[in-house]
Amino acid sequence: MAAPEIHVEAPSEALSNDLDRASVALKDVQLDKNSQVAMARNQPPAMFFAGSPMLKKFDESAASSRKGSQAPTPPMSVVGIGNKVGKPDYSDAKIVLAMVGLPARGKSYLSNKLMRYLKWLEYNVKVFNVGQLRRSRAREAALQSGVRQDHTANWFSHANADATRSRDQLAEDSLEMLIQWLKEGGNVGIHDATNSTRARRAKIEARVAKEKDIVVIFLESLCNDPAVIAANVALKVSSGDPDYAGFSREEAERDFLRRIRQYESVYETITEPHLSYLRLTNVGSEVTLCRIHGYLQSRIAFYLMNLHLKPRSIYLSRHGESQYNVAGQIGGDSLLSPRGMLYMRTLPALITDNIGAAPLTVWTSTMQRTIQTASELPYNKLTWKSLDELDAGVCDGMTYEEIEEAYPEDFASRDDDKFNYRYRGGESYRDVVNRLEPVIMELERQENILIIGHQAIVRCLYAYFHDLPQADLPYIKIPLHTVIKLTPKAYGCDEERYTLPIGAVDTHRPKPKAATQPEQPVAKTAREYYGDKS
Amino acid sequence: MVAPLYTTDSGLLFHAGKILVVTIGLPARGKTHISRALERYLRWMGVKTQVVSLGDFRRKTMGGAQMLPPDYFSLVGRKSAETIKLRQTVSGGCEKLIWEYFEGGSQVVIYDANNGTKAARQTLAEKFEAKGIHVIMLETICDNKEIIETNVRSVKISSPDYRGWDPDEALKDYYNRIRDHEEHYETVEETTWPFIRIFNVGEKIMVNNIRGYLQSRIVFFLMNIHNRFRTIYFARSGQSLIEHSYKADSDLSPAGWEYAERLKEFVVERRAKSLEQRGLNPKDRRLVIWSSSRRRAHHTAWPFLNDPKPTSSPSGSTLNVKIVEKTQMSEINPGVWDGLTPDQAQKYYPEEWDRFVKDPYSFRAPRAESYHDLSVRLEPILIELEREQEDLLIIGHSSVIRCILAYLIGLPASEIPAIEIARGDLLEVVPTSYGVHSQAFHFWDGPGRSGEGGGEGNGKDPNNFYENYAEDTKGKRRFDGGDEERPATPYE
Repeated sequence: MAAPEIHVEAPSEALSNDLDRASVALKDVQLDKNSQVAMARNQPPAMFFAGSPMLKKFDESAASSRKGSQAPTPPMSVVGIGNKVGKPDYSDAKIVLAMVGLPARGKSYLSNKLMRYLKWLEYNVKVFNVGQLRRSRAREAALQSGVRQDHTANWFSHANADATRSRDQLAEDSLEMLIQWLKEGGNVGIHDATNSTRARRAKIEARVAKEKDIVVIFLESLCNDPAVIAANVALKVSSGDPDYAGFSREEAERDFLRRIRQYESVYETITEPHLSYLRLTNVGSEVTLCRIHGYLQSRIAFYLMNLHLKPRSIYLSRHGESQYNVAGQIGGDSLLSPRGMLYMRTLPALITDNIGAAPLTVWTSTMQRTIQTASELPYNKLTWKSLDELDAGVCDGMTYEEIEEAYPEDFASRDDDKFNYRYRGGESYRDVVNRLEPVIMELERQENILIIGHQAIVRCLYAYFHDLPQADLPYIKIPLHTVIKLTPKAYGCDEERYTLPIGAVDTHRPKPKAATQPEQPVAKTAREYYGDKS
Repeated sequence: MVAPLYTTDSGLLFHAGKILVVTIGLPARGKTHISRALERYLRWMGVKTQVVSLGDFRRKTMGGAQMLPPDYFSLVGRKSAETIKLRQTVSGGCEKLIWEYFEGGSQVVIYDANNGTKAARQTLAEKFEAKGIHVIMLETICDNKEIIETNVRSVKISSPDYRGWDPDEALKDYYNRIRDHEEHYETVEETTWPFIRIFNVGEKIMVNNIRGYLQSRIVFFLMNIHNRFRTIYFARSGQSLIEHSYKADSDLSPAGWEYAERLKEFVVERRAKSLEQRGLNPKDRRLVIWSSSRRRAHHTAWPFLNDPKPTSSPSGSTLNVKIVEKTQMSEINPGVWDGLTPDQAQKYYPEEWDRFVKDPYSFRAPRAESYHDLSVRLEPILIELEREQEDLLIIGHSSVIRCILAYLIGLPASEIPAIEIARGDLLEVVPTSYGVHSQAFHFWDGPGRSGEGGGEGNGKDPNNFYENYAEDTKGKRRFDGGDEERPATPYE
């Protein structure tokens, strides 16, 4: 291949003038440092920093040497304290993930869990639950005709030809909706149904094969632990399933077990050697992978391999109030304020009272304020670099007022789209989510963990556990001196908050001028029966 | 190799106990490739890992194939008593070696041998299981004739077994050796032991009964490797307007833009040459470019997209390239030392500087990242690097290139900070079964080539004072370019 021609433009006069000015500005920066040194010998020279005029001076001086802005679609050239960075392109990923398993084997649990994880990583994921489609259609039909369809076990019997046809139709409709949604920009559509026979799976396979660029993988959940099944059944019949409206608990349970038997009678575990599938036996204890390839597929597999169902809690707390918090400065690596120290001393009793004799591991960041906050906790402690606070780059150490005053437009632009805004020389919330991914993976496989983190860090982790959208994530209220206890449940996390009566500054900045403030989460642990709430 | 997130008294990580990975597969099915790759990755994670290769052991104790009795590899007919004894000596010797490694503190031992019969596997596994070692069967199946042929040609007949042989004779002999094995090979059907089965080096993977984090990590890694021929190039980003500041995240300087153009030309040229040598058409192979999200790196990749002859291709370029920005690939964060020369850092932070000089790999300056922190941050990148099938150009920062190179080559952690990565050199790394093959090409001289020296004419830019302390290469070991194959095995 011939080397393409190169256009290197001769530096224009304006450019070379600019460069001269840039080098003068740089020298000034150096001189500033030296003069500071002369004043205080032990003070290191100032860094490149938005709190002094040097940044603006530099940006102005080097204006036209940013050649990138002359290219047809230039890499963004940034001045000031940061810029918005778009989401990476995930449009290549199009996967149908079809669940396989008997009722009460945790299919919906796995679907929801996986959805939360992938959505947190900004994939577009949607669960297409056939049960929800069935219930909402039945509800609609009942509203129109006034006759309530019988959705007891009889309806699930494979001897009932009419019902079998309806059930097939529902599964197919649901798959069609899913494929349509993938074509409209979805990444992973989860087909949450029993898909318990080879014939059904063959239909799915054949349907997806018609679509170029869409692949199907099956995820089978097997469970032979009677305790887990019993718990799932109990949850099913006690949680207000409309299928059992008007039933007593016992009747519901009897009917549900009968429904399971109807499925068991025809259930065929995946043995088709050509299918791409993942089989989890008793979540967390055994995994079979077959023909799983592709980047996202291997991520999904690895995630599922790390899940477990042991009861446990995750405690999240910010560090105690720091000296920077008091001064209203962002970033830094300051120590705790006197009130922060009080929190540090009060925290061990709160945690120990709550958790009793159960084992606990404490994770902190590498910053002094979290390590100090954890210092009196009588548990094993690990420090994670990945838990360090969002790096505010050139704004580190400034107050919001200072930033607003010096860079009003940049400041407004960050408020406009906080998740995507990357501080110059620092990070965006997306960057933080990326670096927290291994932490989430580790959290999934651990048991009781207490994380002493920072505001942005706790927001990102909290958003993962509560499935909150990226746009709202940077506005989640995580007050100081509060322990948030999250207990993973079947369909979400239970949350308890313990606020210690130790005053602290409020570091929360609400979204300015927003018509609607982002929704604060309510613990979503209930199953959605119709799938129309979100 | 990277130190783990934490260490334990026993030296074992992840509550996983000790693990023996038994490879199973016909000759030339990529067992060695997979064993070595896994060893490299686990070591990088801090898990003490050792490959025991039966072939290497035999060659070491007995010499090449020409030294063996004619019935050594034949599985048909009866073997002479001497041959049986010889074979037992070899397998016994390997088992002894495995024990020695476990006793010496290894957590994972990978036994790289054919292990093609059910009975032999069973005996071996029972022996180790009885001593509390977890045994995992790792079977590699390959029915793709091309993969086998490539493997035989590139690895086997150039192996020490056939030193001095006529290539065609060697090929014939080797195929004879394989044929006998093929007839008697018993695939893993037993589910007594946890197993992983890999088809055509990663094309498909089957896993059964895998438990715990370390084992699932192994599976995840194996799901991502392949042995398609590809080349990984490394180049530094161009010089930026303020070299010494991390926070400034400044744009490229004019010299940096010129460098970026030269880099594009050189990569296109070099790649065309190397693909031609392999008989491949560059038009059929896409070049994937990874840059960090730092502006100097991202901008350095720009000329690859900003091709002067726009076509209908979606990238607007005549080159078949794709650029991906990886946020995890930013250079090491210098923390409070941002903007300081080494002299200044030493002056204002004398104690910290002392500790840094003593242990530049693990020391973390205030607010900064250590090389260890950086390596941990790069872990997801390494998995993606393994997974990438296309040629890859990494336009990065010297600290990041150091860590990735160290992983690929298998250098100890302590050497990472000293690897010199000069601006204007293109590093070409080709993964092979036994390690990597690396070469460095010098293609550019200009301002900011390296942080060394001063004054005009030696690359020092009078207007751009010095590099970030963590990025510069002052007084550090030069990366060994040249035509060099690094065997990772202790027996070669």
